[in-house]
Amino acid sequence: MRNKITRKRSSRVGLFRVVILAGLLLTLAFIFLVSTLGSQKFGSFHKLVLEVVAPLQKVVTSGSSYVSTFKSEYLDILQDTLKLREENKRLVQQLQENEAILNKSREALATNASLRKLLEFKSRVGQPVIAATIIGKDPSAWFRSVIIDQGSNSGIMKGNPVVSSDGVVGQIFTLSPNYSKVLLAIAPSSAIDVLLQKSRVRGILKGTGTLTYRLEYILKTAEVEEGEHVVTAGYGGVFPTGLPVGVVSKIIKKPRGMFHEIEVTPSVDYQTLENLLIIEQQNLTELKHMGPR
Amino acid sequence: MIAFNFILVGLLLVIMQTTVCMPSPVWLLTPDCYYVLVAYLAYRLDLMRSLIVLFPLVCILDVLSGTVLGMYAILCFSAYFLIRFISRKLPVNESLYQIPLVGVSYLLISWGVYLFIRFIEPEVLVSWSWWKMGTRAMLVAALAYPLFYVFDLVQKYSHRSLFPWSRLRLRTDNRRRRKA
Repeated sequence: MRNKITRKRSSRVGLFRVVILAGLLLTLAFIFLVSTLGSQKFGSFHKLVLEVVAPLQKVVTSGSSYVSTFKSEYLDILQDTLKLREENKRLVQQLQENEAILNKSREALATNASLRKLLEFKSRVGQPVIAATIIGKDPSAWFRSVIIDQGSNSGIMKGNPVVSSDGVVGQIFTLSPNYSKVLLAIAPSSAIDVLLQKSRVRGILKGTGTLTYRLEYILKTAEVEEGEHVVTAGYGGVFPTGLPVGVVSKIIKKPRGMFHEIEVTPSVDYQTLENLLIIEQQNLTELKHMGPR
Repeated sequence: MIAFNFILVGLLLVIMQTTVCMPSPVWLLTPDCYYVLVAYLAYRLDLMRSLIVLFPLVCILDVLSGTVLGMYAILCFSAYFLIRFISRKLPVNESLYQIPLVGVSYLLISWGVYLFIRFIEPEVLVSWSWWKMGTRAMLVAALAYPLFYVFDLVQKYSHRSLFPWSRLRLRTDNRRRRKA
């Protein structure tokens, strides 16, 4: 019975405490609300709250800015690097393709220029010609010849003169139905009847195996000058008259002998020979037809 | 099969030499790879197979190079027999001497052939130059080792049959016959 009475009393005291505390809090809230709405100024409590919260805010803000800086400095760079790598790869590939196209167009331009020169030369020659391309060169140190991609099927005959847009290159030496071997004018076994264009003196142009010719049988009485142009004489009926052969580059005057020693620089650049023209000679055809039957 | 493969190799070497290795008709530094093949045949192959390889090789060379037909035949056959003789009869058959011998024999044989052709057909050849031919001989000697390696590989693979004929061989049934 006594216990029951004690329990009732303690529950009443607890309820009283709760009511008191709630009343206190409500009063404080009312005071706070009235003071805030009334003065519209930071009170001590506000300041205290701000002082407590602001550092936290500061930490979070600086942390987030650090994170965003880190992201922008490292993660984005990493992503950008990956993107850049792909972009770089694509651009390099594009550059290579463009370079290949550029090279092709350069090559086409050069070939076009060379063929144009050859066409101009063809119209100047005024005789039927056959175009050919060099497909092989003599690897021997003792001979100078090239193989071209035209043969007897195209109407080429042994002895036909071979020229490029710059002048005389050589003569057809041997041939098969579709290919021929050209003996270059720089070969020691080559001999061409030529004329000094200015002085009209005739001589024999022989190959030396190097990139120069030797002009023989020019009498010492003849006046020859360095820089004088040498052209084909056309006496033998093989080469047409007036085809450019070279330029006199050196005259060696010796006290002995009847003839000058003359060095001629070829008008043709043998190092860059590519496309050639074979002149069809009517004389050779006639000679062949007149041959033994 | 070996002879056929070496004919193909020879053909390839000559075509390379007359096209890719010759930027201009007066280019000096073209390697005479065919000579290395001739030396290899003299060192490593029997006479019969070597001759089978050499005949088409000299024919191709005579067609594609030079203006004196038969010059390469003289050059290659004399080189072949000289190297073969030296490697078999003289005590310089060691591998160490083989490569210098290729270069030296190239120079000597070339000089001999040059003198011979100059005798029978004067004013056809470009004048002889020791330094130029010496350079070419050195080039030949320098290329001898890698080309010998390639030729060894060709020989090795030539021994392998292209088709496994041995598997198609009919076997007798003796292994499975039961004893009576």
